[in-house]
Amino acid sequence: MRQPFLLLLALFVPAALSAQSSQFGVRGLGFPGRALAVRAMGSGGGFGLFDAESSQNPAALASVTALASGFTITQGFRQVENPAGSASLRNTRFPQLTVAGPVQTLPVAIGFSFSNYTSRDFTLATSQTIDLRGMPVNVSDTFSSRGGLNDFRIAGSYRLGDRWAFGGGFHIISGSNRLTSTRIFDEPGFLSTRQRAELSYTGVGVSVGFTRLFGANLALSALARSDGHLNVDRDSTRVGTIDLPFSFGLGVRWRPVPALDLAGQTMVRTWSGANSDLLAMGGTGAENTIEVAAGAEYTTDLRRPYRRPLRFGVHYATLPFTLVAGQQGHELGVSAGSGLRFAQQRAGLDLAVEYVWRSEGVYSENGFLISLGVSVRP
Amino acid sequence: MKCYAAMLLAALALAGCQEKLTAPADCPALCPGGQPQIFDEVFTAIPGADSSYAGYIQPFQARSLLVSNGLEGFEERALVRFLIRADSVSVRDTLRGYTIDSVALSFTVAARDANVNGLELWVYRIAPGFDSSTTFAGVAPAFVPQSLIAAVPVPDTLNTGVVRTVFAGADLSRIQMSPADSGRLAVGIRLSAPTFTGVRLGAVGAGAGALFTTYATLDVPDTGTAKLRTLALSTAFNTYVSEMPQVSDTTLLALGGAPSSRSLLRFSLPPRILDSATIVRATLELTPTAPISGLPTDTVLLEARSVLADVGAKSPVNIQPNRVALDTLELGSTTVSIEAVQLMQLWLGSNSPSALVLALNPEGASFTKPVFYSTRAADPALRPRLRLSYLLAFPFESP
Repeated sequence: MRQPFLLLLALFVPAALSAQSSQFGVRGLGFPGRALAVRAMGSGGGFGLFDAESSQNPAALASVTALASGFTITQGFRQVENPAGSASLRNTRFPQLTVAGPVQTLPVAIGFSFSNYTSRDFTLATSQTIDLRGMPVNVSDTFSSRGGLNDFRIAGSYRLGDRWAFGGGFHIISGSNRLTSTRIFDEPGFLSTRQRAELSYTGVGVSVGFTRLFGANLALSALARSDGHLNVDRDSTRVGTIDLPFSFGLGVRWRPVPALDLAGQTMVRTWSGANSDLLAMGGTGAENTIEVAAGAEYTTDLRRPYRRPLRFGVHYATLPFTLVAGQQGHELGVSAGSGLRFAQQRAGLDLAVEYVWRSEGVYSENGFLISLGVSVRP
Repeated sequence: MKCYAAMLLAALALAGCQEKLTAPADCPALCPGGQPQIFDEVFTAIPGADSSYAGYIQPFQARSLLVSNGLEGFEERALVRFLIRADSVSVRDTLRGYTIDSVALSFTVAARDANVNGLELWVYRIAPGFDSSTTFAGVAPAFVPQSLIAAVPVPDTLNTGVVRTVFAGADLSRIQMSPADSGRLAVGIRLSAPTFTGVRLGAVGAGAGALFTTYATLDVPDTGTAKLRTLALSTAFNTYVSEMPQVSDTTLLALGGAPSSRSLLRFSLPPRILDSATIVRATLELTPTAPISGLPTDTVLLEARSVLADVGAKSPVNIQPNRVALDTLELGSTTVSIEAVQLMQLWLGSNSPSALVLALNPEGASFTKPVFYSTRAADPALRPRLRLSYLLAFPFESP
């Protein structure tokens, strides 16, 4: 079984980190990532604050018992609709990478992760007829962006007794948008044009969280995070700063029967703090967001709980960057997944399939997001 | 194992999917920064800073010799002097005399009006002493019937190619050289046609000069091939003279002619264009003082090159082929425009002067001699101008 995993690792490691692209990522900093591993995705994100392979809550690292790493690949198949028409889109992304492990002799675990913070990958195409030198000329415009923001987290957790675990994380948020505007004229007398710009971003943030166990079947988790502000450079020239949000999350996990694990969480982000900065830079602003997720994991074989559990869940979230001032987009997703461990539980594969609906006024898109996670415990 | 294989295949399938990210856009909502804006603006050349300069290509340097019978209201004639024909030939280390059997004169027709038939080149024997300073009036006395040695018909089907005439027998006396000629044969060529027209004859400048061929029998005690010789003499010097001397007007922009003229135009573009614009179309618009005239069916190109350093008449110009603006001058045109975006791009973001040089192609060898209004024209609409369509830097949203 080693060869397939080496192959998978070779596939994943060189790839850039990014998340799903969307027409709802055209404005602002892009489409927000969820910092979830595939296991948490399969259950709608309900387990996100408890999942050590996800990057939401540093206190979740306390559940790590051995050095482990995880990679995620996500393929999106979406149907986009807006007043200009519709299109079927595909994209491949690698939104999550984690390495975490315990510190021997101490109730401490540390971890590193790369996760997608926002994604701004899109190409928009328009055509129109304009009047040039007194004659109508058909032109085709494309505006494209590649890139986004990544969140590199260094985090640690400390287990206090059997019930409490605390965690803290330091986040380096960086990335870039490579923007290109192209115009092609149908009239051969006009040359086509291509103009480029690159926006680059840097910022830092901190996060703290805890997990509290209430007996063997109930747990509570909470998160607070501040991302400070983001420095924005355009073509190496500082053009401003954008305030990043405070994030607050609260999650509950309950095991009513040994074979069933339920979890739910809410995350609030104060993206409206970026509103004035984005408006000053010519954007359409930002709104606070809330994300609610709930999910379950059903263990089909209690003697071997790692063998093909069934996961399902749902999540709802509002989107921070508005396409039209005064409106706010939202996303609803239902998901299902499973996974398995093998090679004496040193390796694992997780699969999640999610169907999402996103809309904001006359803009909408829906489609499947298929995620595959690979975890390795050397 | 089947499960593992299935998941591995799923991973490969996911990683191998081709991306498709292009979606229709509903602007302005989905167009950050808006859409590219195109500006159309007309710039007149800097007043008083446009000039014509003459003397680039002399008639004897031209790639063609102009011969006409009044196409532009006056006549042009070609003068050709061949290399010296020796009176003996070296055979087996001995100079041998020879007897001339026949002689041929060949001329290359480079261009003609394909719609005019019945052309003839009249070839006159003239004194070989002409040079680059010879004038039409200076050689006119030689063009008399007594000097006419041949009338070479140009076949109606021949648009370009060689025409030839052969002298043999008694006709050889027409081109018999006297001791005063020192073995040099010189001929003058004028055109005869049922209507006013012209032809361009190949010249030394293009490697297509006239050819003087002598077929001789050597005086050698041999009956083999050494006895028969062909003495082919190419053109030593050729030029053409015009009945109407070229007159220059410093208030106008002249192109072509002989010696040829070029025009230098200077523009002053604002920094917003030079520093940050993307030019998508640039059209240089000129107004001729009279409709463009010339030889029908003979293509003449207007050529514009950007100036690398502005030092007036001798300004070096860009010679990159893809940076030369070319357009055909249509006969009868009352306005002339040439697309010159490839030149304007050289002006952007560099220290190159915003200036260009206009010339004709072929230069010094065309019946077309356009003259354009300059910035000194009283009517602003007649002045040379540059019509630019450009985009300023796209206002990329931040973000």
